[in-house]
Amino acid sequence: MSLEDAVVYLLLGLGVALEVIACLGLVAMRDVHDRLHYVAPSVFGAVLVAAAVWAREGPSMIGLKAALLAAFLLAASPALAHGTARATRISRLGDWRAQRGEGIEVEDR
Amino acid sequence: MSEWQIAAVVLIAALTPCGWVCLRGSFADGVVAVQLAGTIAALALLVLAEAERRQPFADLALVLGVLSFAGTLVFVRFLERQR
Repeated sequence: MSLEDAVVYLLLGLGVALEVIACLGLVAMRDVHDRLHYVAPSVFGAVLVAAAVWAREGPSMIGLKAALLAAFLLAASPALAHGTARATRISRLGDWRAQRGEGIEVEDR
Repeated sequence: MSEWQIAAVVLIAALTPCGWVCLRGSFADGVVAVQLAGTIAALALLVLAEAERRQPFADLALVLGVLSFAGTLVFVRFLERQR
């Protein structure tokens, strides 16, 4: 096994391991906001897998597509996580802002 | 089996916990699980394309990545309206 292969398999293994950890975290957590935290490592897993494809193929068609997928997920996932958390609060409390009964200091303006 | 095929099998197997959360959790839990499942399924398709040396198949991963984002946004909208 050459050094290049070792780097590819290391990146691929780390990426897949991050995805598995994200799945286990999703199942283990109890609250929707706790679960949301485990969507973030899945995006870094996607970046690592895309890096593995790039390291193996170079700037070819599939390498560029993998980089594009990773870039899209990196940009879209935080927005989606924010939207989900916001929608959950609106669905539970009627408003996404901090409420008086939650033990969070609310500054009146 | 090559290492890439094994990685694809692990990624596809990782979809099972997401399905479990969709079935057993609340609607909000399901939306989070769908979000994660979209990422994992797109990666599985990418790794399968690389494993089989079929470069055009990587388009499927790219399209799924974009469409699962749009699909989850729709579910988020429904979640917001649910009281």
